[in-house]
Amino acid sequence: MLDGLSTSLKDALRKLAGKTVIDRAAVDELVKDLQRALISSDVNVKLVMELSKAVRTRSSEEEPLKGMTVREHVLRIVYQELVRLVWASTDVKLEPQTVLMAGLQGSGKTTTTAKLARYFQKKGMKVGVICADTFRPGAFDQISTLCTKIHVPCYGSLQEKDALKITREGLAALKEQELIIVDTQGRHALEADLIREIINLNNLTKATHRWLVIDAALGQQASEQARRFHEAINIDGVIITKMDGTAKGGGAMSAVAETRSGIAFIGSGETIEDLERFDPDGFISRLLGMGDLKALMEKANEAIQPQDVDMNAMMKGKFTLRDMYKQLEAVNKMGPLKQIMGMLPLGNMELPEGVYDVTSTKMVRYRIIMDSMTPRELDDPSLINSSRMQRIAHGAGATPDEVRELLKYYKMMQRTLKGLRGASGGKFNMQRLMKRFSGMQ
Amino acid sequence: MFGGLKAKLHAARSRLGSSIQTVITAPGSSGTGTAPQVPVSQKESPNQSPSAPASPSIVNKVKVLLIERELIVSETDVADALSELELTLLESDVALTATDAIIAHVKKILVGKHRKIGESVDSLVVGALRAALLEVLGNGFNLLDYIRTHPRPVKILFTGVNGTGKTTTVAKIGSYLRKQGFSVVIGAGDTYRAGAIEQIGVHAERLGIKIIQHPEGGDPSAVLFDTVQYAASHKIDVVLADTAGRFHTKANLMSQLDKIKRVMKPDLVVYVDEAVAGNDAVIRAFEFDKTIGADAVILTKADMDSRGGAAISIAHTIGKPLMFIGTGQSYDDIAPFEPAQVVEELLGDS
Repeated sequence: MLDGLSTSLKDALRKLAGKTVIDRAAVDELVKDLQRALISSDVNVKLVMELSKAVRTRSSEEEPLKGMTVREHVLRIVYQELVRLVWASTDVKLEPQTVLMAGLQGSGKTTTTAKLARYFQKKGMKVGVICADTFRPGAFDQISTLCTKIHVPCYGSLQEKDALKITREGLAALKEQELIIVDTQGRHALEADLIREIINLNNLTKATHRWLVIDAALGQQASEQARRFHEAINIDGVIITKMDGTAKGGGAMSAVAETRSGIAFIGSGETIEDLERFDPDGFISRLLGMGDLKALMEKANEAIQPQDVDMNAMMKGKFTLRDMYKQLEAVNKMGPLKQIMGMLPLGNMELPEGVYDVTSTKMVRYRIIMDSMTPRELDDPSLINSSRMQRIAHGAGATPDEVRELLKYYKMMQRTLKGLRGASGGKFNMQRLMKRFSGMQ
Repeated sequence: MFGGLKAKLHAARSRLGSSIQTVITAPGSSGTGTAPQVPVSQKESPNQSPSAPASPSIVNKVKVLLIERELIVSETDVADALSELELTLLESDVALTATDAIIAHVKKILVGKHRKIGESVDSLVVGALRAALLEVLGNGFNLLDYIRTHPRPVKILFTGVNGTGKTTTVAKIGSYLRKQGFSVVIGAGDTYRAGAIEQIGVHAERLGIKIIQHPEGGDPSAVLFDTVQYAASHKIDVVLADTAGRFHTKANLMSQLDKIKRVMKPDLVVYVDEAVAGNDAVIRAFEFDKTIGADAVILTKADMDSRGGAAISIAHTIGKPLMFIGTGQSYDDIAPFEPAQVVEELLGDS
């Protein structure tokens, strides 16, 4: 999901990373690329303009944090401004509650209602559904068919045309259930009668949550519609549907910004199981290809002690097995290597795929093998000949092939780090990286 | 539906106009000769000055210089105003690619254009915009003419992604065609979504239209084949074939649609999308057109205060005519789309 947006945002940032001088023109270009990327994902134009204005003024007015380059400074601002767009995730508690579904026609409320029922049912809650859509033909058939499949009680009526009456009766009939979801008729903000109806429904049900269902393809209208729904019933969560198509969901993001709520769920398929919780942590970071900076910062702080990894020595090309051992140890505390590398803002540097092909179990094996090496071997791996290899393998309970593999991996790491050093002009400084992370919020 | 876009276009238009105006008045005030000018013979000029053609004289030469002088609009003159127009289009949900094309077009028309001093700036800008929009929107599609000129039954297949309003549209068009005196049969080709067969069934019953249904989970091709057979044997004019909504990313569902097309051999494939869709409208219209083909487009939900950008995006992407616009929840809320009229309305003076 969001792949297209992610790619274009990443390209924009890569361009910035590739620049030698970060001046006003470079920032302007970045902002322009950002604008295009966000607008073509249907993020509200006004929001985009606000964001770009903020990036422009903040990058020229604010002083970079100590130890931060201008480039990092600008990246940080972009990151922070984008985070402001998405807000936080909506809190979903597993306790007795009533959920009122609202949304435009055809946004997928009924399907989502069934998916939600299934989601909470799987969490062990007793769920009931009320069908308050008395307008669309087949609506009650649809939801009752879906509910029957998952054995969830569904209250509704084919004859009754008064949604309030049905809901009142439904609440009474389903009072045994812990969670009641009220599916409503599709409506848009200009239909005054229907907006009044949903206000009444909200008052009647005293809903714990009022979730707005938004089609991922919805365009610039999303903000305006969300605002009006918010005014009417105080929306406290947004569910984005149809994320399995090519739509980017920028409209829904705008709706989130408009209602100052969060994205509660994401629907991404036609079966009843296709509903995910939305996890905002690192959402933007991943979007930007900057990795999960916040998570990395936390991890790095707890995992790496200064003496653990001497990045500077490594960068100078003195990368020995001993360094790799330390590195593997540190990495082990932080998580898989690919994730770590993905977290580092390496800009346009391409790392060979093989670097990542080390699973955590393999890393443990590598460390055991290295434990069987002599200090001299660790300092100078070129000493290792076939008889030493035999001895190491024997001592570690491994095969000589595994030892060979380890040495191959070591050589690849060494090459990669040399490459890094070349590309970033020898300024790849772990300390600075850490500072950058702590600067990010 | 186009209310929002209209208001914005008016603003952009006057902005564009004033930006050109300033360019023109500046050299004019500094007397003669400084501005780029290409005098033309009086015969060619439609904005003839009140005086009758006379033999060349000093007076006439001055007149040519002052009144008939032409000015060249340069790229920088209109850059600001065009970027404003660009934003306007984007805010109205015209997709980025379509917006780029329109802006390029307007720029091409305006930049380097020789403008006579007597010619109104307004008309120049309006002309450029009108040309650009008309070019993008193409011609409308007259369904009634199409049915009248083709052998019966005319088979119309409705396609589109989930939740755009295909079923409701089928009911509306059924009602519309009945009023125009055609006999209609509906094929309930959405056998997948729970409640879909009931939904179209209730519509058909209310409208008194014959419907061919199979049970849920059946093969949509079979239903629609039966519908065509029924129409042929009962001499019915039009077959309206509803289908399940599907995403263009789902290859197996798209090949199902392909099978439907092979089996029922529709005369018209109509692509249904919603007027409120954003940039994705372009992508999915393109994919549907590529895999299944589309002969005409129907836009739904135009009553949602939409600015009509999707119409421009889709028309620009697949170049297929817009046939109808759905404007509400009742059966009569559907209107034939007429591009010229819409563009006139957008750029009109009220």
